[in-house]
Amino acid sequence: MSSSGKRLLQANEDQVDAAKSVANSEAGAVRLRQGGFNGDFVLSYAARASAIIVLLMLAVLMIVLFHSALPSIKLFGWRFLVTSDWRPNELDRPIVGADGKPVLDEDGAVQIETVPPSFGALPVIFGTIVSSSIALVCAVPLSFGAALFLVRIAPRALVGPVSFMIEFLAAVPSLAYGIWGLFVLCPFLQGHLEPLLKQVFSHIPGLSWMFYQRLESGRWVPIALTGRDMLAGGLVLGIMILPIITAVSRDVLRAVPRTQLEATVALGATWWESCVEMLKYSRSGLFGAVMLGLARAAGETMAVTMVIGNNSQIKASIFAAAQSMSSLLANEFAEATTDEHRAALIEVALILLIMSLAFNVVARSLVVGKTARSAAGH
Amino acid sequence: MTMDFSHTPARGRRRRFQSGVMFAICVGFTAFILLILALVVGYLVSIGLRSMNWAMFTQNPIPPGMKGYPGGMAHAIVGTTILVGLSSLVGLPVGLLTGIYLAEYDAMSRLATPVRFIADVLAGVPSIVVAILGYELLVVPLGHYNGWAGSLALAFIMIPIVARTTEEMLRLVPSSYREAAIALGATKARTILGIVLPAATGSVITGVMLAVARVAGETAPLLFTALGSRFFTVNPNEPFPSLTVQIFNYATGPYPAQKSEAWAAILLLIFLIFLLNLSVRYFTRQRR
Repeated sequence: MSSSGKRLLQANEDQVDAAKSVANSEAGAVRLRQGGFNGDFVLSYAARASAIIVLLMLAVLMIVLFHSALPSIKLFGWRFLVTSDWRPNELDRPIVGADGKPVLDEDGAVQIETVPPSFGALPVIFGTIVSSSIALVCAVPLSFGAALFLVRIAPRALVGPVSFMIEFLAAVPSLAYGIWGLFVLCPFLQGHLEPLLKQVFSHIPGLSWMFYQRLESGRWVPIALTGRDMLAGGLVLGIMILPIITAVSRDVLRAVPRTQLEATVALGATWWESCVEMLKYSRSGLFGAVMLGLARAAGETMAVTMVIGNNSQIKASIFAAAQSMSSLLANEFAEATTDEHRAALIEVALILLIMSLAFNVVARSLVVGKTARSAAGH
Repeated sequence: MTMDFSHTPARGRRRRFQSGVMFAICVGFTAFILLILALVVGYLVSIGLRSMNWAMFTQNPIPPGMKGYPGGMAHAIVGTTILVGLSSLVGLPVGLLTGIYLAEYDAMSRLATPVRFIADVLAGVPSIVVAILGYELLVVPLGHYNGWAGSLALAFIMIPIVARTTEEMLRLVPSSYREAAIALGATKARTILGIVLPAATGSVITGVMLAVARVAGETAPLLFTALGSRFFTVNPNEPFPSLTVQIFNYATGPYPAQKSEAWAAILLLIFLIFLLNLSVRYFTRQRR
């Protein structure tokens, strides 16, 4: 038996001794039966009350958000979800006549019209979906590979350290990934990867559009490759969700019954073929792991805000600056001056909350009971 | 699902080749992940160590152009400590008690199952959304950004993590401990407080501290609750400084000297999290 095991047993005996001595003393016996000031009653109700508080927390969150978003929901209705103009400030622009020329007043000055602010959440919903998708495309194959490695290949001595690394990285603040993205990834994309991609792809017919954007005037101009764009956001998110997808799918794969594995090997399956059977067996749990990663990618704020470029317009190219729901909130909420703007932002937050709740609920119901050890806290 | 493992020489070679390739890919992917993550952490450690200095812990920020620029982060370190301390006042008792409830009282009851599920779901709620809760509940009524709202948002994030961590750690205590205590006539509360919790003290404390450290590393919940401040303050009624918001502002700002401050400070957070992860591993390894 290991020394730690012995120590544990010793501790065990000490505690049992302590319990015995309490029970043996007469006052102790009375205390144990009656629980002193009836501590039994107090602890039991305090614990139950705390559990109920946890239940209420979600309800409070939903109610507060819904209540604060209500003005925006009433004002914009469904259009909020499908219009793509996010402009918190009034806009002064020249009135354009039927002939396409600015309309002039009697003095020959250009007439200006004031366009009211407009709030459409489509660009940020688009930004969140695209950046999370890039993240998943990058992270899922890598994570599944690593999970298979941890479950089927790694020698015992390696499982511990690798698992430790992965759990540690899941706990590193997102700010750290953001700083790395800002100072390493973005300059790398700007200086090396994106020019290279542009050189290669802009000559392939049908792909050159990725490096051009359409201005409001209808002219197409090359996108300035800054490295702070949708691609950078997606890649940083991908790196951030690697640990969680790996950790959860490792737990899911580890829970595949040994007999299942032995049966495939007995039938003559190669190593990979038995892995495929294993993946098939635990597909719902693995889907849950992916959903957990998706939920985290969609809600991640700081790292994305630092690298995604913060431009609330829909651009088809992943090399253009974009904006996700969370980065929009991080950028604009503290500076929002009008009630309208603030309510619209809170409605964005409500959409984000509902999205992430949906992902989480699906993921948790798939993962719970499918893992040897629960995936909490990751 | 069809499984055709039938054997012909050519097919066997192809299958073995395919298997070998996939084996190599799995090893390669793992190596690649570890490489990327090592690059990230290695970079942060190297630039962080280069910019680390004592002034960071002892001085408040000094604006560019003034003597002593860029000063340090003392105000933010104190600020984060106070914010996390305030949120712990609420978050730790509720989280710990919920964890005790989930592990020790009717673990599979009609209350416990949804609570466990909701706690997991809450742990996945985007932290920026929680910030809006703090804003609506404490910034709007008080009329200005303040430390209380930041603490509320942090407590909200802390509770589900602490609850689930505590539950996991208590579950590692063998049930023979509880049976022994109950057999000796101890009440439920006595069993939990006198036997189960002491047996799990180390792991519960480190697990909970890890949860607290992760909360200390949160930025988004503070952006429009505590807001951040360049000045030293211990009054939570004012906009309140915090390490993470300060790091964010410095890292995205234009001044090189402030950027190095941000690098040093983020290293501090990473180091804290690393140590706590290490100790959690130490405590849980004994039990598994």
